[in-house]
Amino acid sequence: MEHSIAAVQVRPSAKRKSWKHGAMTAGTLGWFLILVLLPVAALLMEACQSGPIAFLRGLQGEAAAYAFWLTLWTTILAVVINTIMGVLLAILLVRYPFPGKTLFDGIVDLPFAVSPVVAGFMFIVLFGPQGVLGRWFEAGGIKIVFALPGVVLATLFVTLPFVTREVVPVLREMGREPEEVAFTLGAGRWQTFWKVTLPTIRWGLIYGITLTTARALGEFGAVLVVSGNIIKRTQTATLHIHQEFTDFHYQGAFSASVVLGGISFVLLLLTEFWKKRHKL
Amino acid sequence: MKKSISKMVAGAAAAALLIALLPLDLFSQETRTLILGAYTVPKEAYQEEIIPAFQKYWKEKTGQAVKFDESYVGSGAQARAMIGGFEADVAALSLEGDLQKVVEAGLITHDWRIGPRRGMVTQSLVVIGYRPGNPKNIKDWEDLTKPGIEIIYPNPKTSGGAMWCVNAIYGAGLKTTELKTGKKDYAYAAKLLHDIQKNVKVMDKSGRESVTTFERGVGDAILTYENEALLRQFEGRDFPFIVPRATLLIENPTAVVDKNVDKHGVRDVAEAFVQFCFTEPAQRSFAKFGLRPVLPNIAEEFKQKFPVPELLFEMDYLGGWAEVEKSIYGPEGAWTKALEDIAAGK
Amino acid sequence: MPSRSGRFALSSDALIKAAVFSYVGLLVILPILAISFQALGQGLGKIWDDVLQPQAWFSLRLTFLSAVAMAIVNAITGTAMAWVLVRHDFPGKPVVNSLIDLPFALPTNVTGLMLVVLYGPVSALGKFLKVRGIEIIYAQPGIILALLFVTFPFVVRSVQPVLMELEKDIEEAAATLGAGRFATFRRVVLPHLLPSILTGVALAFSRALGEFGSVVVVAGNIPMKTQVAPVFIYGEIESYNPRGALAVSLVLLLSSLIVLILLNLLQRWGRERGT
Repeated sequence: MEHSIAAVQVRPSAKRKSWKHGAMTAGTLGWFLILVLLPVAALLMEACQSGPIAFLRGLQGEAAAYAFWLTLWTTILAVVINTIMGVLLAILLVRYPFPGKTLFDGIVDLPFAVSPVVAGFMFIVLFGPQGVLGRWFEAGGIKIVFALPGVVLATLFVTLPFVTREVVPVLREMGREPEEVAFTLGAGRWQTFWKVTLPTIRWGLIYGITLTTARALGEFGAVLVVSGNIIKRTQTATLHIHQEFTDFHYQGAFSASVVLGGISFVLLLLTEFWKKRHKL
Repeated sequence: MKKSISKMVAGAAAAALLIALLPLDLFSQETRTLILGAYTVPKEAYQEEIIPAFQKYWKEKTGQAVKFDESYVGSGAQARAMIGGFEADVAALSLEGDLQKVVEAGLITHDWRIGPRRGMVTQSLVVIGYRPGNPKNIKDWEDLTKPGIEIIYPNPKTSGGAMWCVNAIYGAGLKTTELKTGKKDYAYAAKLLHDIQKNVKVMDKSGRESVTTFERGVGDAILTYENEALLRQFEGRDFPFIVPRATLLIENPTAVVDKNVDKHGVRDVAEAFVQFCFTEPAQRSFAKFGLRPVLPNIAEEFKQKFPVPELLFEMDYLGGWAEVEKSIYGPEGAWTKALEDIAAGK
Repeated sequence: MPSRSGRFALSSDALIKAAVFSYVGLLVILPILAISFQALGQGLGKIWDDVLQPQAWFSLRLTFLSAVAMAIVNAITGTAMAWVLVRHDFPGKPVVNSLIDLPFALPTNVTGLMLVVLYGPVSALGKFLKVRGIEIIYAQPGIILALLFVTFPFVVRSVQPVLMELEKDIEEAAATLGAGRFATFRRVVLPHLLPSILTGVALAFSRALGEFGSVVVVAGNIPMKTQVAPVFIYGEIESYNPRGALAVSLVLLLSSLIVLILLNLLQRWGRERGT
């Protein structure tokens, strides 16, 4: 008796469940489609509508080549420096308690929350020729703002937190035991790091590196303020896109946008793909 | 252990490779570098004709090659950059006021107003661009105050072009009332400015960006430099515009930046370049790209292209830049008040 | 042997700490101190005056209100998206999962360009909207749209891992006890998700406060109408009015700091709750 009542109860609720279920899926995906995918599709269409040759021609020119090369070089530098520093910072924050740690933790996260124009502005105040540190550099004939060092500094600033933020939770979860076990087994610090710590934090680290790369490639506001937009000297890829758009070279702007966004996106995809393959 | 050493060596090699690829400047003895800090509007004129022509001229004269580093941003932004450390050797800005800021920062120590044409290398006018066919029937400033009209011009904070536009509106108000009643009606001018600003839809960072926005279909009318409109027409785009009866003469200064040229050791090249901009070939190039030449005989040559408006006025009609900083853009200025009133719903 | 490696360990420790501290000090602490001292050097009264200037004040208000609106929408849609990705099945799910990160991959001014291309008056969609008098681009809705785009992944990626770890048993147990799906969600699941949702919202909010590249292209930037704080700051910087820029920058910095502190507390709360 009870069995049949339960059976009767399950079927209608199962039907109701799938209707709401489907509606939620459709609604949420629909929102995502309209909010994110549609604009991206529009960009791709605009960039490709005149055909592949026009697309490539949009990337031609010394200004474009230099801008991409500058962005690439700056990104590599930012990734290398902030990965090393990021891992060290993570280890410091998780393994070595010190007074003011929480505050320091917040400070490391700060670039993440600072508006890019404010970031650029800070570097001008500090390193401009009238700035507190800037005047010493100026006296020594070294240009920071409106020159390459400024571009690099701004990029380093905005990409600082990513590796740390991704590695810290993994490091914390890992706990001290694996490292301590390695120590007791006679492994040196370096060895422990390479053989024990690094493999464990690997995926967090890789994701952090990918985010750092994407951010460095796409930085706009800070470099707009700090670089001077000097064509073929301090004009990054994003600034180049901006210049192209305002100069009515729409194909150039769209082609470069697709390339720049595409690189970051492919990197993110590769990370996901690689991770999945490894976990299997 | 060996593995980590080899990894370190690999890392060091990579670092060395990276450093080797550094964008270092390799100066050859024969190449001089000149840094140009300009506003956005004359970019094509410089890049496509004047700079190549000068490079050729200098090569023939001295045997040296000249490399140009160019930056084109809104005039206000460019001045700010120079004051903030951008070491431009030549400053080509949209308005005297911005150049004065560079002077006040101690970067320009000579009197740039002495010399050909008081330092102004090109001229233009504030004009009103509209859509093909003129669907909103725009003929003069008053038409821009009609409700439902959407207007574009840049932000005076960053763009010199915007200041010219706002000054033109204000001055036109004064000029037309002076013509009618014999007196300048400041209240009318302020109201005209208010009513037009009310209809502004987008304020871009520079004059050039404004035109881009207009081209992307935003707005029924744009206030811009005459040369921007002419440039678009020159490139084959339909960009109809009217020169209002009363409008402002735009004058663009160019000057050598003393502090930087002496530091870089390029004074001779910089002074030659500035002077070159006043020569006939350069002036012809400017005219070709829609900027009004200042040399009388070239102006004569292009007189058909550049008609003179009936009620043309200049900055001294408004009391000069210093006065305008107060009376229009100051805390009690007409434009500031207009923005506040509009925000308050008036 | 032990003492030798002990000494070595100590000095390399100190070296590493010194390197890390000086790096963060030079890159982050020093610039922030420089700008803070420059601003505070004017005196608090002056700063407050600058912040209360009509244009400055309006830009701050617009920024905060837009960020709040965006945060509310993202809290709901982000959680829903994470839910759908973890609990529902549909064709192409791994593809969609990867696409979530698109806003992270795109430069901010490219985002702005995309929105202008899609919704601007030249496009088919733009014309459609214009005819109906719906204003998105160059109006306040456009600002919120840009913010929604660039912050979309934050809540999703924050909630997803927590949801994945959450034991389904809890839900199923509640269901067999007769609780409806929504009641189950509200009473059982939501409390567990709340820290991660709020974390994502806090991240999105602090990002939105400072967002420049996408908004400056899309908003129209009319002072006291569509001009957000970062764009106002930019205008002040570029017209060589550092005072105005400093005051508003300081407000944004302080707000970010507060949000970050809240974030840290949230994450600690989340850890204590455990999963």
